[in-house]
Amino acid sequence: MRTLAVPVAAGATLALVALIGLTYLRPPGHPTQAELAHQIADELRCPDCQGLSVADSPSGSATEIRTQIDQLLARGLSADQVRSHFVDRYGEWILLAPRAPIAWLLPGVVVLLGLAALTAWIWRGATRPTPVIPAQQPSQADRERVREEAERLDA
Amino acid sequence: MRHLRWLLIPIVLVPLVWVLNFGFGRDPAEIPSQLIGKPLPSFRLVTLDGQTMTAEQLRGKPILINFWASWCAPCVAEHAILSDAQRRYGDRITIVGVLYQDTADRGRTFVARYGGDWPILLDPGGTLALDFGVTGPPESYFVDAAGIVRAKQFGPLTDAVLAARVAPLLAAAIDR
Repeated sequence: MRTLAVPVAAGATLALVALIGLTYLRPPGHPTQAELAHQIADELRCPDCQGLSVADSPSGSATEIRTQIDQLLARGLSADQVRSHFVDRYGEWILLAPRAPIAWLLPGVVVLLGLAALTAWIWRGATRPTPVIPAQQPSQADRERVREEAERLDA
Repeated sequence: MRHLRWLLIPIVLVPLVWVLNFGFGRDPAEIPSQLIGKPLPSFRLVTLDGQTMTAEQLRGKPILINFWASWCAPCVAEHAILSDAQRRYGDRITIVGVLYQDTADRGRTFVARYGGDWPILLDPGGTLALDFGVTGPPESYFVDAAGIVRAKQFGPLTDAVLAARVAPLLAAAIDR
């Protein structure tokens, strides 16, 4: 039984790796026009709503934008051209996810800087030598005073 | 190293004040127009009176394009200011209203109640509003005599805004 265990485990591992590879590395299929339209609408901000995408909003302007997306795709425009069509009119504001790389990089940079500062602070605390307070021997006068106090208490 | 701790105060406070002042101190829908300095978008639409109007017909005089709706409360007060502007400027400027997300019947009822005889365009499908990048009424655009969009007013017009925006358009029109 032990002789079979290794090949079976290796085969199972290979099968698992192949399955994961097929699932995640498979080239995406071409979305239909309706799927593409929904995907674009999902990325656009509804102009007269608060924090809703064009895909999620029932407002009149969102409905009109969805209709216009369908028309532009039917005319043969690519998804990027359709996005640019709305960016030309509303600016980058219309995109729910900003295109500028700094918007994505800045939070990561801030977190890394914070972690670096925290690590440096902890490191300094750990490596700082604990101050040694030299033990002081009581003086002869102190010894005398303690002895006198003890005698007074005993009396 | 100890004195560097004082740097933490501006590092934290400056972004915080900036966010409070600029982030929360304005309406997020108030976005700069992408049309400023560009030609008036082309259109061919029908007015409340059934007349066809095109962008090309409006060339030659400064234009005030006002997006409004009968359900928009600030549009009522703004309508009175537009009526005053029409009396004050006469035929030196063209005022054009565009009905935003509204029906022709409600638009007619509104005009019958509050007056004003400038053309009101119907915008089925909201194409013109989308071309202007409108985020909600009232919103107005000032276009010079050459057909170039020069300014945008987010929210209701006031006498002061009108005077400040129309004066340079009239001056430029005289110079042409």
